[in-house]
Amino acid sequence: MFRNLFIACMTLAAVLISIYQFSSHEPRADFTYVNPSGIHTLDPARMSWTQDFRVALNIWEGLTTWDPATLAPIAGAATLPPQVSPDRLTYTFTIRGDARWSNGDPVTARDFVRGWRRAMEPGTAADYAFLFTDHIAGAAEYVAWRNEAVTVLAALETLRGGRRITSEQAKALSGYESIRTPSASAGPTLVNLAKEITPSASDADDKAWEAVAAALPTAGENWDRIADAVFDTHAARLDERFSRVGMSAVDDRTLVVRLARPCPYFLDLTAFPTLMPVHESIELLRESHRGAPITEQGLVVCDPQWTKPDYHPDGYPGLITNGAYRLADWTFKRRARLAVNPYFHAAGEVRCRTIDMLEYDNVSASLMAYEAGDVDFLTDLGVPYDHELFRLSQSGERPDLKRCVVLATYFFNFNCVSETIDGRKNPFLDARVRKAFTLAVDRRSIVDHVRRRGDRVASSFVPPAAIPGYEPPRGLDRDVETARRLLAEAGYADGADLGPIEVLYPPAQERVCQALARMWEEALNVHIELRAQESKTFAEEKAGHRFMIAWGNWYADYNDPTTFLDCLAAENGNNDSGYANPRYDALLADAAAQADPAARFALLRDAERVVVEEDCPILPILHYAELIAVRPGVNGIHPNARLWFPFRYVSVRR
Amino acid sequence: MMRRIARRLVAGLITIACIYTLTFVMVISIPGNPFQQGARNMPPAAERALRARYHMDDNWRYFLDFLRGAVRLDFGPTFTYADWTCNEIIATALPVSAMLGLLAIMIAVAVGVPAGVVSAVRRGGLTDVSILALVLVGISLPTFVTGAALLSVFAVYLKVAPVGGWGTLAHLPLPALTLSLPFIAYITRLTRMSMLDTLGSDFVRTALAKGLPQRTVVWKHALKPAFLPVLSYLGPATAQAMTGSFVVEKVFGVPGLGQHFVNAALNRDPGLILATVLVFATLLVTLNLVVDVLYAWIDPRITEAV
Amino acid sequence: MPSGDSHSDRDHQSRERKRATSLPPYQGGTQGGRFPNPERKRRAVFSLPRRARMRGGAIRTSVLWGSGIVLALLIVPSLVTLPLALRWYNVQELDSAVRHPPSLSPVVALDRYSGAPGHGAAPPWIRLAYRASSWLGHDDLGRSLLYRILPGFLISLAFGLAAAAMAVGIGALWGAVAAMAGGRIDMLMMRIVDVLYGLPYILMVILLKIALTRPLTAMFGGYTKAADLVILLVAIGGVSWLTMARVIRGQVLSLRGQPFIEAARAAGAGPVYILRRHLLPNLVGPIIVYATLVIPQAILQESFLSFLGIGVQQPTPSLGRLAADGVQAVNMYVDYWWLIVFPCGVLVATLLALNFIGDALRDAFDPQSSATAWV
Repeated sequence: MFRNLFIACMTLAAVLISIYQFSSHEPRADFTYVNPSGIHTLDPARMSWTQDFRVALNIWEGLTTWDPATLAPIAGAATLPPQVSPDRLTYTFTIRGDARWSNGDPVTARDFVRGWRRAMEPGTAADYAFLFTDHIAGAAEYVAWRNEAVTVLAALETLRGGRRITSEQAKALSGYESIRTPSASAGPTLVNLAKEITPSASDADDKAWEAVAAALPTAGENWDRIADAVFDTHAARLDERFSRVGMSAVDDRTLVVRLARPCPYFLDLTAFPTLMPVHESIELLRESHRGAPITEQGLVVCDPQWTKPDYHPDGYPGLITNGAYRLADWTFKRRARLAVNPYFHAAGEVRCRTIDMLEYDNVSASLMAYEAGDVDFLTDLGVPYDHELFRLSQSGERPDLKRCVVLATYFFNFNCVSETIDGRKNPFLDARVRKAFTLAVDRRSIVDHVRRRGDRVASSFVPPAAIPGYEPPRGLDRDVETARRLLAEAGYADGADLGPIEVLYPPAQERVCQALARMWEEALNVHIELRAQESKTFAEEKAGHRFMIAWGNWYADYNDPTTFLDCLAAENGNNDSGYANPRYDALLADAAAQADPAARFALLRDAERVVVEEDCPILPILHYAELIAVRPGVNGIHPNARLWFPFRYVSVRR
Repeated sequence: MMRRIARRLVAGLITIACIYTLTFVMVISIPGNPFQQGARNMPPAAERALRARYHMDDNWRYFLDFLRGAVRLDFGPTFTYADWTCNEIIATALPVSAMLGLLAIMIAVAVGVPAGVVSAVRRGGLTDVSILALVLVGISLPTFVTGAALLSVFAVYLKVAPVGGWGTLAHLPLPALTLSLPFIAYITRLTRMSMLDTLGSDFVRTALAKGLPQRTVVWKHALKPAFLPVLSYLGPATAQAMTGSFVVEKVFGVPGLGQHFVNAALNRDPGLILATVLVFATLLVTLNLVVDVLYAWIDPRITEAV
Repeated sequence: MPSGDSHSDRDHQSRERKRATSLPPYQGGTQGGRFPNPERKRRAVFSLPRRARMRGGAIRTSVLWGSGIVLALLIVPSLVTLPLALRWYNVQELDSAVRHPPSLSPVVALDRYSGAPGHGAAPPWIRLAYRASSWLGHDDLGRSLLYRILPGFLISLAFGLAAAAMAVGIGALWGAVAAMAGGRIDMLMMRIVDVLYGLPYILMVILLKIALTRPLTAMFGGYTKAADLVILLVAIGGVSWLTMARVIRGQVLSLRGQPFIEAARAAGAGPVYILRRHLLPNLVGPIIVYATLVIPQAILQESFLSFLGIGVQQPTPSLGRLAADGVQAVNMYVDYWWLIVFPCGVLVATLLALNFIGDALRDAFDPQSSATAWV
């Protein structure tokens, strides 16, 4: 019987192996690189991760693009320089005549408007929508209007389904234009509703709104008609409201952009993936409701699978892009293959005709594959023994390991806003305590002995010698005596009086946090509790200000100090520390209004001085330096500060 | 037989339903925004509207919708990898994990059963103890250690195996071997114990007394009934092996199902969590059923205690 | 339960297989089944050639003694150095000792450990213990590996014992009650065990951690360490009792059919009395055996959770965490063998010893049916 079982097992094994589909033996691509941790999404509007941006940079082309070595903006799909109005608020771009999509269609200005509009829409849930609302005239108002409408339509859909809405939704519903002042065509039902949801108590009374929400009739055909009426009214005004936003396609090849305030780095922004154009075929996959291109909740939603090259429902041709490469094939979690876009205006100059992007879940494995010769280029060498790689690169033994000095900062946030955290008093509301903790840290030790990867010690938020013309302030040096004195002044004669101080961080920052905790314990005699949280919980707790000290980092989105300094502005969504200083905000606003670049930088420098030398809401530790591995024989990869690597300039000599 | 199968099937379906419900309750009680991609915060209006669009604002409705979709084998969208659907993710990952798991179990049986038999026959002796020691190493070292060790030795130093990934025949042996080690230990122990019991029974003594060679008695006659407990262990073991060992997949870079369990939970992605849980539960119940049927078919004398 | 290294094989056993011919009913009665039945032990060997019979338990016994000695060799120094280790496990030396290989003389200055600048002030036993600090090398923050492995061993063992306690406390009780109650209640209780088996382990642990961290931290007044510990205990112990429940239920079921139980019931004894007076003594054997086998499984599970990042929080050491850190340091450029060899060596030795002892115990007690011996 055992032998029979054995034979059965062997047969099963043979069958399994033979029917198992292994990847067919294709010829190796001209150039292979590894996308660390895989591609999260290829939708240019929804992208948030650097590795996704890297792919977008190669398959799409924005109005401008970056020079591979200097990162200065150079002409992309538009010719440079654009026409700029004297007040520097209106840019007129001319799309080049030979800019084409991967199916031969010419790139038009409307494609840009389509892509930009989609990125602003609430349904897309783009992380970088703020690039539009902050810079383009009318964009913030449009997005606010759309968000309001979406809230109302979602509430109406809930009511229509017979379910209760929340008090916030009831409040939004009552304040909504179409319901407050129904147009004549809407009919009597809207008027009745307007009367019904006006509470007798004041606006701020939550209880009253709860009662209203509960009292709203939860069933009945009234809601169907009301919802439809509100929807139709909103849908009818979509285009008109959008026309007030400062982006318009005057004709096929002319794009006019109106900015809300002067933006010296706008040409740098237009190269960013969120501002890339989208082909009109996406309209085939757009959901519509009652004839309008929005869903029942008012959201602009396109089938999220539009980014696949082989997705063809209802005549959709698959992903069409306008960059140097097009997406030829994409296998989930294994590989994406890029092939040259034959219609690209510089297609003849592209040396690597096919590119393979492999996905390895484990950076060590990708490094081993590189050593084995299967991979030509690695962008992420974040392994636990990366100090060893750094040593090899510095000693000259491994010239293929190159160091990029990156425009990014690694820092810790102090909680500047909560009174208590988990029932314990928050000592970091006092700037002296924050400053004491900042002064007690030995950054040089962390950079040289803990991380050992060649990072630069940071005493300011914006990296020095990175943005031409901007020199950040000096910041604070290590001074344990002053730290203890400040702590005593703040009322804590001994660090132990502070109680246990909690440090929140994602697991990857373990070593630095342990070293830091030890430094604080030894210098200030304070008791530190370390708390590692996985990334989503970590992000949530940070956003909810439920921490005392939390790790943070920031990579520059564009080449200007404001990309860092805006993070500490009071109303900014990325202000994790909760720092709010009107003087700081005023300095930033003054700088925004300032036309002269040198004066502007001076104002920004003053603002940064407030943050890094006086108030210390953040504790900058280091500026990143990343290692990349480039196989000898590969030309065209230049280490740069933003880790952008366009592959159209790459050539491989084996 | 039919009634037995039917009873098992009903019990299995109830188990799957309970598991689904329990997981669903856990999923909806976890805070977190499944739509958020990066670290930047999404305006709450957008999140609420997206929830409404995916019918996630009403828990009961979502529960039923998902179940209805699952019956049709359509698990809906996933927010972790927004460009793909749950179906596609499972369709790419499940065969990989299944293949790895089956191979691991086959190795485990091929190695474990003979080891257990030899160990039982030479009970108390040096062979017995050394075999036990060897196989126990499989459960005395965590899988990430054995995997990393095998990878270092065979892939990095000796360079006879690829360093990880998936796609060719050469990628199979190392991860399958690593995955099989704990199962080898259990199967060996189990075989040994049941062989010891069987070897003490009357029919074995009779066979030996009749003059049959020990070899025939042990391998041909005694092994058959002794194999039954191993068989019933193989059911859940195969399910466990097939749904992917997260550690083996992480160490060897195999694109299987295990990582999706973890990533789905970490990303609060309800669709993917529920889909993977359902797949796992179904696999477990099915394999248990298969094992039950095989068991009853092989040994008709079996009666059930309860 | 997918993945991971839970290794605790759970199975299938809600159904007891009673083999029609082979095994005699468990010896209840006055002996209470506490003592192994020598008849049964001899039978297996008796049917085999003489050669096999003569290799009696000598080697087995020596292995058992060896395991005991190994465990003692690990436990005694750990306990002895515990007070020191509690202060020294997190002493970092970022300049000179980062990833220092093992050396016979200490690499880190004494005052880093004892805190007092004057060497002469430190008592002789501290100086002795200090001399051993670099024997196993230093880790990536310059901490002495010796003074992390020793307390780490104790912490892992503590988790194992806690899991065993939970397995006994919850599992044995659950199984016994289910078997005594019988009928619908029994079926319900075993269904619950089935469902819990069917939940994917990693997923549940992660979800549990995410769901419970906030509320537990608030409950413990902001001490996240306590919350993490509770979650870890739940994660490890939560599955260790399932096996025990099934095993004990099987045992009680077979015991229930014994004449002496029937006699007791006829005499008017209530179920609780029967449980306490008659069943429990008979169950001690299997309980001890499986509890001993739960300990290594729990330690392995803890190491798996540490690998995932959910286990014991830094800087607290545990064997699993040290092993996980060591594995991550493996690379093809520089050899950090001591970071992985020592923690894994201690881990293997501990688990092998525990497994051997458990196996031997099981052999000795010779539990009734091999169908339940898949642990």
